[in-house]
Amino acid sequence: MDEKDGIRVVRTACPAHCGIDCCGILAHVKGDRVVKLEPADFPDPRDRRICLRGLSSLEITYHPERLKYPMKRVGERGEGKFERISWDEAFTTIANKFREIGDKYGWRAIGWVLGGPGAGTTKFGAYLRLASLTQSTRVSAWGYGDAGLPCGSRVLFGTHLPFTFFLPYLIPPSVPELVVVWGSNPAETQPLFMMRKIMDAKEKGAQLVVIDPRYTVTASKADEYLGIKPGTDAALALGLMHVIFKKGLQDDDFIRRYTVGPFLVRTDTGKFLRGKDLGWKEKESYVVWDAVSNSPQIPGTSGIIAAITGTYRLNGLECKPSFQLLRELAEQYPPERVSEISGVSAELIRKLGERIGTAKPVAFVTHMGLARTYHGDISMRALGTVAAVTGNVNTSFGSGHLPAVLNWQPFLHAIPEKPSYHRLGILQLYDAVIKGEPWPIKAVWFAFINFVNQCANSGKIIREVIPNLEFIVTVDLFMTPTARYADILLPTCSFLEFSDFLPHPYPYVQLQQKVIEPLYESKSDVDIAAGVAKKLGFGEYFEGGEEAFIDLIMKHPSLGGITREKLKQQGAMKLPFIPDTGQKFDIAFSTPSGKIEIYAEQLVEFGQALPVYLPPLEAPVEPGKGKYPLAFIQGHSRFRTHSMFANVRSLLEMNPEPVVEINPIDAKKRNIKDSDIVVVFNDRARTILRARVTEGVRPGVINITEGWWIDQFGEGSVNHLTHDVINPVHAFVYEPNMSMNDVAVEVEKLEEAEK
Amino acid sequence: MKNRRLVLVIDQERCIGCEACTVACRIENNTTAPWIWVETQNVLQKDTPEGSFPELRMNFLPQLCNHCANPPCVDACPQGALIKRKDGPVVLDENKCNGCLVCIDACPYGAIHFNRSRKVIEKCHFCVHRIDQGLEPFCVVCCEGQAIYFGDLNDPESEVSKIIAKRKTFQLKPEEGTGPSVYYSPPRPKRRL
Repeated sequence: MDEKDGIRVVRTACPAHCGIDCCGILAHVKGDRVVKLEPADFPDPRDRRICLRGLSSLEITYHPERLKYPMKRVGERGEGKFERISWDEAFTTIANKFREIGDKYGWRAIGWVLGGPGAGTTKFGAYLRLASLTQSTRVSAWGYGDAGLPCGSRVLFGTHLPFTFFLPYLIPPSVPELVVVWGSNPAETQPLFMMRKIMDAKEKGAQLVVIDPRYTVTASKADEYLGIKPGTDAALALGLMHVIFKKGLQDDDFIRRYTVGPFLVRTDTGKFLRGKDLGWKEKESYVVWDAVSNSPQIPGTSGIIAAITGTYRLNGLECKPSFQLLRELAEQYPPERVSEISGVSAELIRKLGERIGTAKPVAFVTHMGLARTYHGDISMRALGTVAAVTGNVNTSFGSGHLPAVLNWQPFLHAIPEKPSYHRLGILQLYDAVIKGEPWPIKAVWFAFINFVNQCANSGKIIREVIPNLEFIVTVDLFMTPTARYADILLPTCSFLEFSDFLPHPYPYVQLQQKVIEPLYESKSDVDIAAGVAKKLGFGEYFEGGEEAFIDLIMKHPSLGGITREKLKQQGAMKLPFIPDTGQKFDIAFSTPSGKIEIYAEQLVEFGQALPVYLPPLEAPVEPGKGKYPLAFIQGHSRFRTHSMFANVRSLLEMNPEPVVEINPIDAKKRNIKDSDIVVVFNDRARTILRARVTEGVRPGVINITEGWWIDQFGEGSVNHLTHDVINPVHAFVYEPNMSMNDVAVEVEKLEEAEK
Repeated sequence: MKNRRLVLVIDQERCIGCEACTVACRIENNTTAPWIWVETQNVLQKDTPEGSFPELRMNFLPQLCNHCANPPCVDACPQGALIKRKDGPVVLDENKCNGCLVCIDACPYGAIHFNRSRKVIEKCHFCVHRIDQGLEPFCVVCCEGQAIYFGDLNDPESEVSKIIAKRKTFQLKPEEGTGPSVYYSPPRPKRRL
């Protein structure tokens, strides 16, 4: 801490939920007031970073509309009438109500609905600890848009997220020859962590291709832009593979070594052929066809060359290597057909297929956007399969910083010998509350989540979910559209008022250091959890506050001796480094086969063993189909991090209101001019806002950036238009995802609609 | 010692139009109008491309005071309130400014603004309070895209000298003969598939 001219400077870090850019921040404090924020240094000076929101975040801390003290509801739910109470009354009321509900329905009827904690850890851990101690229900929020990518990645790679397999190609000294950004806009959503790397690669000679229904800022940097119809990504991937296979550009050695490509599949059942089918003593072994001896063999047997194509008959069973099945699927997707489905020209499909097949290496960049469709998990698998068949999946580790692993166990299992919490996906919360399935949820605790605003089908939430809850606690900084429905409303701190451990941005970890005391009567989430815990008789698990939890979560060998005290001195520290010894280790894939599953046996029953193209659930990609002709997607704006910063005055001056982006072709058909007030509607809702006529969105597609608060629309909102349909494959693989980018709507001028 | 010649180079290839520079400047200098603002080129509505889908282009052009070698605002100011420093920045002596607005008309770049509450003009001063301490202007420090370079053009080893020597750069309104200290490196040509 430096002191000069009465100014105290504290290094902290911004935990906002923005793709984990996690900017180091120097807070200048005069007296007890933070007067300025600036980017803090990192060990590597080029890693210094901040964004326009981080710079503006004093306007959150000192916002005049911050919730200042605990309150209880006095009017009707949603009416916004509250009365000030003491923290003690709040904690006592909550504990009593939880006990009452726990006694009546069982403790799992209490749901902890925790949103994205951003880069934060212990504020999340504190509530998980309380959920585990009370054996209540943790409602996972991956499903509010971020479960589709994991569903795909888990099937293909066996890991929750695919990034570790793609990212190394973007990290120096590696220079990719080609970067393919697919369904993601890092220039606005991850400008610091991801976009800088992309532009660095481009400066060193990489060619950049961007695939997106919108001409985004990222697209504007592209050497080639492919304006795809939303939800048709799997078809495009199959078209690219069609080209790659036709020209023989696939990486056969990679497919043999790292994927299930050579494993034989029984064409009668679709399951992998096993040793037992051939009467082998290795009953469960997969089987490959050895092209040298022309005989079936155990994969990995020395001296064999496993066939990846062809048809074989073994013990009367017709079998094909799974790669052969992929080839046959791709065979059905020539560029002309894919062009019709996806709206990308056949010529571009051909050129991109050839380029991916010949460039080395190719860095694929994707994120949650393309997986926010009903079959978004397959989109992820399909693009990952393109990467795998061309050998552009990083499969080894030789040197570099180890990833941070945190000591989550004491949070997930506060008492190791007792069971932990129950788990429910957030999209499953609707039926749990409305129908009591799979079990009834009667009380919820919302923390760092704007559930009503940010979750699918807001109208249904307001009409059916909220009224069926007996008790709602909300922790927030502001009277958000969700906070309005609380029975007990608790004020929490802005990031400058509490400490947390932030294991980002890779390869760094940082301390979010408390800069000033909590303002008004606000408390940190850790202290709020502790207050409830004490009333419930679990106070001993929350002693020592935030700092004790930071020490606890950092107790893991992967941090290599980095401690809270050291971080206080040094700010950001790099994770332990493994020097280059020339040795490389294969990364194990945690799939059932231990390989990249370009063919997923676990999804045979769903007809999705291969990354098949299935049309979107709603998005009208085929003309004339369905009731509503326009596909509605939700891009992300640099002026907000989800619904955070939507109430920051200076950012509103730069970007004052929600607009619906519509292509001039679609606008003309509807007699809509730029700045007209329009109604976007479907069977679920009407949403009223201003039109922005722009070429930046594909004809047939409209875009409204997510995160605007419900009260900022004339009527409705972004998520009043979205649906809450569950894809059973998501539920089977991991957790159902909300398909916010798979929605059909119509748009008309407000004056026409009112006629 | 030879005078420094402080300049900015803005790389349009790396600029992502995020406006963090605008926000940073406002916070650092407590401005009432943007001293640095980002224009989306060739269109009326910001953040929208030109062309027709999918054949589109979108480039960003951050603009600010050009700290001209021959600053028309300095020549025009009847009070002598605008001063061209030897190292480049054009700065305002607020005590001398009477808010006559002549400089606003004289500036071909629209970079001078009237502060209504204080009845004086305001403009970018290259963060002289920072650069005199050896720091960079705040917009440079906060640039998300790492697109803005600041340095001494009289030092051949400086980053700005190297970029100007190596790449094609341009200045705004060269026909005005103002000799701007803000250089732009245009976006690299697209390498289509």
